[in-house]
Amino acid sequence: MIAAILAGFALGGVYALASSGLVITYVSSGILNFAYAALAYFVARFYYYLHVQHGWGLAAAAVVSIVVTGPVLGVLLWAVLFRFLRLASPVIKIVVTVGLSVCIGPIAILLFGNQPIVSPPGLAPQPVHVFHVLGTDVTMDQVIVYACAIVILAGGAAVLRWTDAGLLVRAVVDSEAMASLSGIRPSAVAIGVWSVSTFIAGLAGVLAAPIIGLDINSFTVLIAAAFAAVIAARLRSLGTAVVVGLLMGIATSLVERYLPSTSQFTADVIPSIPFVFIVIFLGYSLIRRGVVREAQSLGGPLDRAIAPQGGSDAALARAASVAAAGRRLTSWPLPVATIAVVAILPLVLHGLWTGMVALGLGYAVCFLSYTIVTGEAGIVWLCQITFAGIGAVVTAELATKQGWPVLGGVLVGGLVCALIGAVIGFATLRLGDLYVALVTLAFGLLVDNLVFQINSISNFGAGIAVPPPGFATTDTTLSWLALAFFAVLALVVATLRRSTFGFAVSAVRWSEPAARTTGLSVVATKVWVSALAATAAGIGGGLIAIYTAAAVPGSFATFSGLIWMAVLVTIGIRSTSAALIAGLSFAFIPEIFATYLPTSWGEVPPALFGLGAVLVARNPEGTLAMHARQLEQVMSRRRRSGSLVDVLTEQTGELAGAAPPPDLAPAALGKGEA
Amino acid sequence: MNAAQPVLAGEGISVRFGGLQALNNVSIEVPRQAIMGLIGPNGAGKSTLIGVLSGLLAPTSGRVRLDGADVTSQPAQQRARRGLARTFQQPELFAGLSIREHLMLAWRVRHDKARMWQDLVLGRAWRRPDSGENERVDQLLESLGLARLGHAPVAALPLGYSRLVEIGRALAASPQVVLLDEPLSGLDAQESEQVADVLYGLVGSEGVSFLLVDHDVDTVLERSARVMVLDFGEVISVGTADEVRSDELVRAAYLGDAVDTATTASGPTDKKVGHA
Repeated sequence: MIAAILAGFALGGVYALASSGLVITYVSSGILNFAYAALAYFVARFYYYLHVQHGWGLAAAAVVSIVVTGPVLGVLLWAVLFRFLRLASPVIKIVVTVGLSVCIGPIAILLFGNQPIVSPPGLAPQPVHVFHVLGTDVTMDQVIVYACAIVILAGGAAVLRWTDAGLLVRAVVDSEAMASLSGIRPSAVAIGVWSVSTFIAGLAGVLAAPIIGLDINSFTVLIAAAFAAVIAARLRSLGTAVVVGLLMGIATSLVERYLPSTSQFTADVIPSIPFVFIVIFLGYSLIRRGVVREAQSLGGPLDRAIAPQGGSDAALARAASVAAAGRRLTSWPLPVATIAVVAILPLVLHGLWTGMVALGLGYAVCFLSYTIVTGEAGIVWLCQITFAGIGAVVTAELATKQGWPVLGGVLVGGLVCALIGAVIGFATLRLGDLYVALVTLAFGLLVDNLVFQINSISNFGAGIAVPPPGFATTDTTLSWLALAFFAVLALVVATLRRSTFGFAVSAVRWSEPAARTTGLSVVATKVWVSALAATAAGIGGGLIAIYTAAAVPGSFATFSGLIWMAVLVTIGIRSTSAALIAGLSFAFIPEIFATYLPTSWGEVPPALFGLGAVLVARNPEGTLAMHARQLEQVMSRRRRSGSLVDVLTEQTGELAGAAPPPDLAPAALGKGEA
Repeated sequence: MNAAQPVLAGEGISVRFGGLQALNNVSIEVPRQAIMGLIGPNGAGKSTLIGVLSGLLAPTSGRVRLDGADVTSQPAQQRARRGLARTFQQPELFAGLSIREHLMLAWRVRHDKARMWQDLVLGRAWRRPDSGENERVDQLLESLGLARLGHAPVAALPLGYSRLVEIGRALAASPQVVLLDEPLSGLDAQESEQVADVLYGLVGSEGVSFLLVDHDVDTVLERSARVMVLDFGEVISVGTADEVRSDELVRAAYLGDAVDTATTASGPTDKKVGHA
């Protein structure tokens, strides 16, 4: 018992460190860093690279990786990325840090190699010394974790509370605007906070490696646990985050001790503990408070007053206005042309590449799920791939085990996902954007751990076979079949956009109070749009299973879903054509690398996809919409009539002849004479 | 429908936020086919009262009646479907929609609810809007001076236009009563006059009632059939404009000396001498 608790304190100490780093950056910059575990992994992997692969001394390797590289990485990321995100919408913040988390792992592999790591060392000298305390064994690694956790957490609290530096940080947290008026440079404080935060990430990563193993997947447990602690802390309370982190460590350790270690159930339950905590804390907060949101808490009144258009939605609002203006262009010619081109592809390509069209179209159908839920409804879900996995599993179950026609299985898979999607939509109704993203991520990881591991579903990893429909046994016909599904769903999305329901979705997205007082039901709107989005992902999953001839749950891991999102967001979250192009890119690019380039280049595509999503920070519309808008601007310059600026200019009689950018002109016209 | 019965009534409404008594036993009646004015210094509880009446805020105690029916327990969207509309002090627009789409949506929610699914399932989204809808939307856009801007996205609109879109969206639902939370702020004198004329006209032509909250005390007093004055969450006066103007309590607590100059061309800031 005591041994389990002491071991639990070690794991809990790592969780507590990680979650305190997350809370510090969230509170000071408004960014919940989804790439935190990836950063921790990067530093831990670099430490291993120096210490084990290159034989550096422990101290030198630790100083260079944890003390130097970690903070430098933090400052670098702040300089090129995070400082531009402060006023970005929650959606953009999530997407950018998710993109970062996607690309860091592959970059680490490219830099440090891809060898399997069996027992990574911690900060204790090898062989690890074992103490005997209270009749149980405590390793030097554990002692170092206790010491680091106590020193960092107590020291950090003391610095924040009693030093001038702490006062500066607290001033900037309370109000960046007021702090700068008092002569404080917020950027200096931000640099400090980011370097400390990534230092803690790196330290947590190195300390965690001996406990949880050193590969990017095992670090998912770390991030899930840290997120659970952060949710319990309602994103702000450092103390709560630390306590919950410790509790989770102890809970994990006790489960390991008291459940039979050989059973599959134990193996499944252990990684699920953070999600249990997430459900408990969110459920408790929802029952107690009714809503759990994060937005209103950032900065002071002055910060909100000087933020453009009342805050963080400004960038998206501009994007939305641009998108609305460019709607004519992207309404139907582009999707129709793209679909026509893709229809010809199976005739032009052959062999493996025809199959890639079919697979890419399966992905594209899944990607329409993001187009609906994030592009239209503005909700960030991180579990679409889980729906695809469920769709695939249901398809296999019905087609192979029950003898249904396979397409019937695909459709029922979509319906099953619709139901689950509706439940998730309903359960997350009153959560803020960040919490919804976290809950869906947790849902995905939970299904990965608990459902997709069941042997009757995964068929011991091989997956249950899925037969193709009788009329589509070749890759060419399969491509056309998938294209038909895509075309129908793309038509549904296009119809949604111009439908009353689509208007309602937009209304609920931009203002829930105004939507309600216009007579719209926020509940119904969100639940239906969630169901629709989940259906698309489920059907896409079924199509992927048909192409791969088996439903392999392992290929629908939640973290691969983050790459899906990165790819789609890079090309464009609002356009069906973008979904199609993204789907094909996701199938073709890795295959091109695998076929024509050395194996070691295999990690380049995911790194590229992740970097693409990071670029969304500068260009929220995605590359496709950006080019469409540029084209539209060129064309409207030729037309020179009917634009908002023109009409306003004419109506107010001011600014005649001037052509200011649309987002500046109206402000100047605000008090114009009618 | 009883003509003497108020279209919207709040009875003994109290709202408490923690230690702050935002409204204390406030009763208000919005008469049919008339403008009811509501004034009071900053922090008097005007927006809180509108929140309670529209259903976005739950009162600590008190009842709300819409068209005689008790709607206290009904959520905002059900009240809206029964003919209650509102605007917001900070305009709450749907950034993804054009001005025209705001009005279309509001019209359809009230008059053609089935479109919500028919558009998707039967493909009605691809057909032309009904003539009734078009007529109503065109007419509203015209009367609010938004006709040429109909297809403009709202995200980049200046404040004054945003308020007009909000008013248009509220009216497109053919409401019985509209709660207007400072609809004139951000408009210049001429625009303000124009909007007030449109509202006044609708009272006569369509029998809509308004609860008008604004800092432009002159306009409120001039246009409203009855006026209520709130201060520190309590009603200090109710009556016609003249009665309110001559009310000692109002003079002391809110209008101060500015009452005498209210008919002159002084700016509204002169009259906001209440509580800072």
